Amino acid sequence: MISATEPEMTLRYQAPVGVYDELCSPNGQFRPRWQQFAKLFSRMSPEEMTRRESFADRMLVENGVTFNAFSGNENGQRPWHLDLIPLILSAMEWQAVGEGLGQRARLLNLIIQDLYGSQKLIQDRVIPSELLYANPRYLRPFKHLHHVDPFSLTVYSAELARLQDGSWTVMADRTEAPPGLGYTLENRVVISRAMPQMKQQLPVQRLASFYVHLQNVLKLKVARKTANPRIVVLTPGPSHPYYFEDAYLARYLGYTLVEGGDLAARDDKVWLKTLAGVMPVDVIVSRGREAGIDPLELGGMDPHGVPGILQAIRKGNVAVCNSPGSGLIESPVFMAYLPVLCQTLLGEQLQLPSIMTYWCGDKSHMTFVEDAFDDLVIKSAFQPSGGTEYVTNEMEEPAKKALREQIRSRPWEFIAQHRVARSSLPIWHQGRSQCGHAAVRAYLVADDSRYHMMPGGLVRVADTIAPMELSINAGSCSKDLWILSDGPIDDVTLLVAEDKPVPLKRTSALFPSRIADNLYWLGQSIERANFLTRLFRISMERLTIEATNDNLEMLPLIRLMAHQGVIEADYAIDGFDAHLPPLESILPRQVFDRKDPNGLGASLAEMVRLASLTRDWLSPETWRQIDVTGKSFLQANTHRFSDEHIDSLNILNQVMINLASVSGLVNEGMIRGPSWSFLDLGRRIQRGLDVVRILQSVMSPDHMRNKATLKILLEMLDCKMTYRNRYLNNLQHHAVLDLALTDETNPNSLGYQLTAIMSHVDRLPHDISDPLLGDEKRIVLQASDRIRQLTFERLVAAPDSPMNDLLKDSEHDLKLFSEVIVRKYLVHSGIPRHITSVGGEDS
Amino acid sequence: MNYKITHTTVYSGDERVSVCHNAAWLYPRNIGTQNVHSVRLDITPMPSVRTDLSDTFGNQMSLFSFNEGYDKLTVTAFSEVSVQGRALPSLEQSPPWEKVHRELQERTTQQAMDAIEFLFDTQHVKSFGELRDYTKVSFPTGRPILQAVSDLTSRIYKDFRYDSTTTTVTSSVAEVFGHHSGVCQDFAHLAIAGMRSLGLAARYVSGYLRTYPPPGKPRLVGADASHAWYSAYCGEQLGWVDSDPTNNLFPNLEHITLAWGRDYNDVPPIKGVYLGGGNHNLNVSVDVAT
Repeated sequence: MISATEPEMTLRYQAPVGVYDELCSPNGQFRPRWQQFAKLFSRMSPEEMTRRESFADRMLVENGVTFNAFSGNENGQRPWHLDLIPLILSAMEWQAVGEGLGQRARLLNLIIQDLYGSQKLIQDRVIPSELLYANPRYLRPFKHLHHVDPFSLTVYSAELARLQDGSWTVMADRTEAPPGLGYTLENRVVISRAMPQMKQQLPVQRLASFYVHLQNVLKLKVARKTANPRIVVLTPGPSHPYYFEDAYLARYLGYTLVEGGDLAARDDKVWLKTLAGVMPVDVIVSRGREAGIDPLELGGMDPHGVPGILQAIRKGNVAVCNSPGSGLIESPVFMAYLPVLCQTLLGEQLQLPSIMTYWCGDKSHMTFVEDAFDDLVIKSAFQPSGGTEYVTNEMEEPAKKALREQIRSRPWEFIAQHRVARSSLPIWHQGRSQCGHAAVRAYLVADDSRYHMMPGGLVRVADTIAPMELSINAGSCSKDLWILSDGPIDDVTLLVAEDKPVPLKRTSALFPSRIADNLYWLGQSIERANFLTRLFRISMERLTIEATNDNLEMLPLIRLMAHQGVIEADYAIDGFDAHLPPLESILPRQVFDRKDPNGLGASLAEMVRLASLTRDWLSPETWRQIDVTGKSFLQANTHRFSDEHIDSLNILNQVMINLASVSGLVNEGMIRGPSWSFLDLGRRIQRGLDVVRILQSVMSPDHMRNKATLKILLEMLDCKMTYRNRYLNNLQHHAVLDLALTDETNPNSLGYQLTAIMSHVDRLPHDISDPLLGDEKRIVLQASDRIRQLTFERLVAAPDSPMNDLLKDSEHDLKLFSEVIVRKYLVHSGIPRHITSVGGEDS
Repeated sequence: MNYKITHTTVYSGDERVSVCHNAAWLYPRNIGTQNVHSVRLDITPMPSVRTDLSDTFGNQMSLFSFNEGYDKLTVTAFSEVSVQGRALPSLEQSPPWEKVHRELQERTTQQAMDAIEFLFDTQHVKSFGELRDYTKVSFPTGRPILQAVSDLTSRIYKDFRYDSTTTTVTSSVAEVFGHHSGVCQDFAHLAIAGMRSLGLAARYVSGYLRTYPPPGKPRLVGADASHAWYSAYCGEQLGWVDSDPTNNLFPNLEHITLAWGRDYNDVPPIKGVYLGGGNHNLNVSVDVAT
């Protein structure tokens, strides 16, 4: 009943017939669980709701909540969309669902353990052998892996739908590495800030107790006797669609986020490779597909794979959760057998039914499928989600016939399910309440010998009642699930400190070598981008002022660009440039050429890529600034103004300022630990090499006596102002060389770089039992001495006796230093390879 | 027949291998037609850890790894085996293949239950329509199964050329079928996929074959090689019967069985994952002495 006095702002929407309406009962009244929310909601104006909505969107973007955010594929990025109207359920109802799912989790756990153990269920013919032997998800190396742990299935997630009669049904089981635990948390955090008045006035149960259970059970899995067990989250890395939540979850739970390359199996134990050596790992929360976890026994080369890890599990030295093999039960064909399995294994009735599932490999099921063929959903019996899903009543006759043939030839590979119309609920769209359909994801964790359900969950919303993909980013938006409490709200939270003061620390011991590696190259790419931007900008400025090649100031720039490989070498050779197009016509195109591996675009893209791999070690502002810097250049529309030097100059100026801002954020925002050391080492080495190369390109008697060259030199070294302050306009080569080489107060001099490198070397972990200097220290001392020993006379004599040897030696030392550092600290994260013997070289 | 077998695998690279994990299936199986008197696996350098365990098919496998790395790895398997051979009934007296098919459908016997594992496509060995048609020619209605298996084996022998240059360990059955050539492993896979396409169970057998020097020449030590063939489930009475499409015969006294699985990937002689090492060289020598 919609009364005339109903306020304009309402949750009411047009609910379709034939589905359960979450919001209102058939008589048109709000269901009791919604009443308080609806009242508070009606007090807001649509404008206010829109404002809150954009606040939430901004928060999600700023927190980097996306799918596949760092894949490098621009089209693959999708922002996470959260609808501010939650789904509200009563404690009583959710508790009943929890009991059903608890039973189901116990059951699935027993099935996994039997099928990877004695296989009594197959031998006793409780289920057909095909469920195992025809199933590509049955992975034989996992057999007998499961006796070690009473719970193979530590975390379980169920996909639920509500039917027209109001009852819940399970659409799918997620057991391999249930996704959504991070997104659910993030949804709750965002909605609490976007709608604080709702959260305060409604008795919404908190989620934290679930994560406390998770921490408890992971601690229980530690086999070693230790006060400080090491638990890590193993992720397939930034190219994986759920990387955001892997990183989020690791941070929230206080565990180290690692990739396969960070771990090593040695002596049937698993170790984390850090700068300070290897550290034992006790428990691994695995987030990748289980078929990739051990490249030795399972093949493949997944980024989360650790060769030899299965044997470490067998020996009981490390626990992986969920236990490898848990994913088997995701095959939807098992749903056809759960009632009988429940009777056999638990002696109980299955409390919460699954969607009716028919296995075509069974004769009587197949007969039904043939008869009811026109109104079914046909899917793979073994693969839990993905492309091959056929809704028969939407198919043309020939396609239907072909499908029937396919099923008849390999019936065991198919299941059929009825179509389910999911319940409807309100979503806030275009300033008003509209209709969506709810897919509810529930989470359970095994702790103190039973399963606990999260008092909340993740709701995905579909626009229609058509079957929905299982991927948690499917659907038009997501929602928070609010379970109203009958009693007081327990205020457990992981986000505030415990009551006992923690001991103070200055470092985090677990600094993976891979991160050091990436930060080192990140430092180099920032510097490289900086150098190229400056070089291009100065060159473009010269071309804009006076468009001729005989401009004396252009010569050193042309030589430098040719040496850097960004223009053809012939431009730098007298007489050879006649046949080439004039520089002013090609340079703008060269600057914006994104395909040139030596170019600015390539080094900016590399900078963004490396920063995305090390995000957890940079401040959020630093990451954002790097991202913006790269994208604003790479996405600039350069066709329009390729010949307009002014536009190009503007862009280069902007990149200059953006990079300066990156440098500032790095300098101000980074803790002076090993992460800072490696990033800064990369920058110092690159800048030292840049200074050497700039000097090399002008170190000839003619150039050294030329004021134009000296002017360009000062500009490239960013020392124009300093020089003028010291010497006014009296340009003399030895004073310029002092600024470039020996003046350690100049942050752009070679001497400054070497001193900075030296202080980093002293802070890196090294073997204190060796009384002599390490190679890296010896090299940098030698390079630094060479510069410090320069005399006034030597600098003055430069035009007559060029310093080519000194520059060459400096360049050599910097490169050698880099090699030593990489070998000593960084290379243990190489890419593993397969060897295999050939089977048939006989006869 | 008694055999002394030495199977040596040497890996060497341009650079030192820093870390390496390996799995090997190099112990002969104790089965009804074959007794293993002694086995030994020598690995140089000494691995950091080493474990022998039984895989899901009942084969003995070895896992070993190196933490300190190596410049060269040598794995040598020695074994002493006696092969009794097997007298098969006359081919016509074996049951019609449809009867075996029915047994696998109805699964009335424990043997049939155990054979189901070898009934389906694997990730690497997949059947296809053309191969099914090819195989079906050997399996006309009512034909005794041993006759049918023998016919399939000899047709593969005649229709496919032995050529080690056309395929690799990762070649698919379809590629082998298209090339009309391959090595023993490919022929075994071809027969296995073909039989499975008819709803029959077949498995892959890895092992050795005694070879003879050309007339008048001395026997060359180390000139033998790993070999592979297939085994077909032939019903309750006969159980599994081996067949060698590379040599067109039923193995008797000259085949030594190492291990079996659904396909090559379940039981390669050695596989491994390593870090470092640059370009790798692999050298295998097998010696089967009587």
